[in-house]
Amino acid sequence: MSAAAEPYVEERPGVVWLCEREIVRFLKLWVQTIVAPCVSSLLFIVVFGMALGDSIASVGGVPYDQFIVPGLVVQAVLTAAFSNNSSTVFQARSDRFINDVLSSPLRWWEVNLGLAIGGVVRGLITGVLLTAAAIAMTGIGVERPLVLVVAGALVLVAFAQFGVIAGIYARSWDFMAFVTTLVILPLSFLGGVFYSVDRLPDAWEVVSHVNPIFYLVQAFRYGFSGQADVPVGISLAVIAALALVLSAWCAWLFRTGHRLKP
Amino acid sequence: MRRSSIDQRTDHHPLPESPATLAPALRVSGFTKTYADGFTAVRDLALEVPAGSFFGLLGPNGAGKTTLIGAITNLVRPTAGRIEVFGHEHETRHARRLVGLAEQEINLDRFLDVEEVLVYHAGYFGISRRNAKARAKELMDVFDLSAKAHVRPPALSGGMRRRLLFARALMHRPRLLILDEPTAGVDVELRSELWEYTRRLHREGTTILLTTHYLEEAEALCEDLALIRGGRIVARDSAAGLRARYGARDIAEVYAKAMSAAAADGIAATGADAQAAAAMTPAEEVAR
Repeated sequence: MSAAAEPYVEERPGVVWLCEREIVRFLKLWVQTIVAPCVSSLLFIVVFGMALGDSIASVGGVPYDQFIVPGLVVQAVLTAAFSNNSSTVFQARSDRFINDVLSSPLRWWEVNLGLAIGGVVRGLITGVLLTAAAIAMTGIGVERPLVLVVAGALVLVAFAQFGVIAGIYARSWDFMAFVTTLVILPLSFLGGVFYSVDRLPDAWEVVSHVNPIFYLVQAFRYGFSGQADVPVGISLAVIAALALVLSAWCAWLFRTGHRLKP
Repeated sequence: MRRSSIDQRTDHHPLPESPATLAPALRVSGFTKTYADGFTAVRDLALEVPAGSFFGLLGPNGAGKTTLIGAITNLVRPTAGRIEVFGHEHETRHARRLVGLAEQEINLDRFLDVEEVLVYHAGYFGISRRNAKARAKELMDVFDLSAKAHVRPPALSGGMRRRLLFARALMHRPRLLILDEPTAGVDVELRSELWEYTRRLHREGTTILLTTHYLEEAEALCEDLALIRGGRIVARDSAAGLRARYGARDIAEVYAKAMSAAAADGIAATGADAQAAAAMTPAEEVAR
């Protein structure tokens, strides 16, 4: 049999290599990708929770420094997953080294998985480190660990895929800055990270309920403290729907080559 | 580049069976590419490149060379037509693992060092870590990159980056090596070394598809030449055949006459390649 006719056999799956490359990329920049967001979130806990928290009454019986932890953790996790993947995909497109992957024997879903995994792992590391530090600093417990794990997994999938989508559609770095600064950050702050929506006027409470990040915060808060503003089933359903829609969108982009291959 | 290393190499490819027993390295039929804005870069193109040949594709900028190469390597989606690589549909994994591509643009992963660029490329083609590292070491030695093994591409000279691009394309031992303007912007010495190595790969059985603006080198290297303009093949033959057909002294004169004749026939040089590049790359390129 000629070499050209031999069946294609992988000694080590190409998708594992791509996953490894994506993880290696952010670990090489660990100060920027892991340490900085953790420090940033911990500063919020120190300043708003521990320094100013004494002047704020507990929220639903939960001390304020513990109340803000779930929201800060979910905000750090989703930002890590999004920004990692949007930047890795856009850089690869901008420098065109994504062609090295697209012309390889990797299947479309393997490319999607490989490019998404970096954000998942980075978000996971960020979340675990931040949670450990927050537990040590505030004494917060984890009342519903299974809810926290499920919600965390769904958030990671949703925002890892969202990051890949943004990286595919972006035409400039400004686009990513726009999404992070003017979409994700405001939605996070308005999603009940620092307050309970029960305290908002009725109109704002309604607005909060159309903000998907509100449900992420609620699910994490339930996982940590066992209480939230909405039933946890609704929160998990909303996150799952978000993850499903974004995954389907991403799958379509890779399967068709839309915006990746002219 | 260490010639001694090249000379000692015996493990690249076994010499292939008689080309007559093999499917063509490349068979393109009815290939048409119309971009999203309605612009047709290539229309109904047919091309066959025999296995084991050294094939040159010559044409002006925008003739459709990069669009064709992009389609062969699954970087451009054909609008119509069929492309086969050694008898395999070009989109299959079988076909993809048989093709190596060194693009005209330097497109190296800025986050990886030289060795990692090579190893991860091999990895995407399913090669084990041990074999990938061994192959990377071998090619770094051949291309004089060993001293730069742990340097990232942005810190390399232009010539070093070009060597790395070439080495990367060879990591998975492709049967069809596509070189798109591989010596653009390269000094005379490195150009000579790259051509020498390319000749050796060809002697060892690798099919070469080359695009270049160095017509005299194409004439010296390629067994078979095709001239492309406006997304159409306007002439194809051996260098000697083309010279005889056009009554020309050399391939540069052939090129000039063939392009003039094509222009007279209304085949305009188009912006096809610029179109392909623009469509694949974000408008703003920022080094970050």
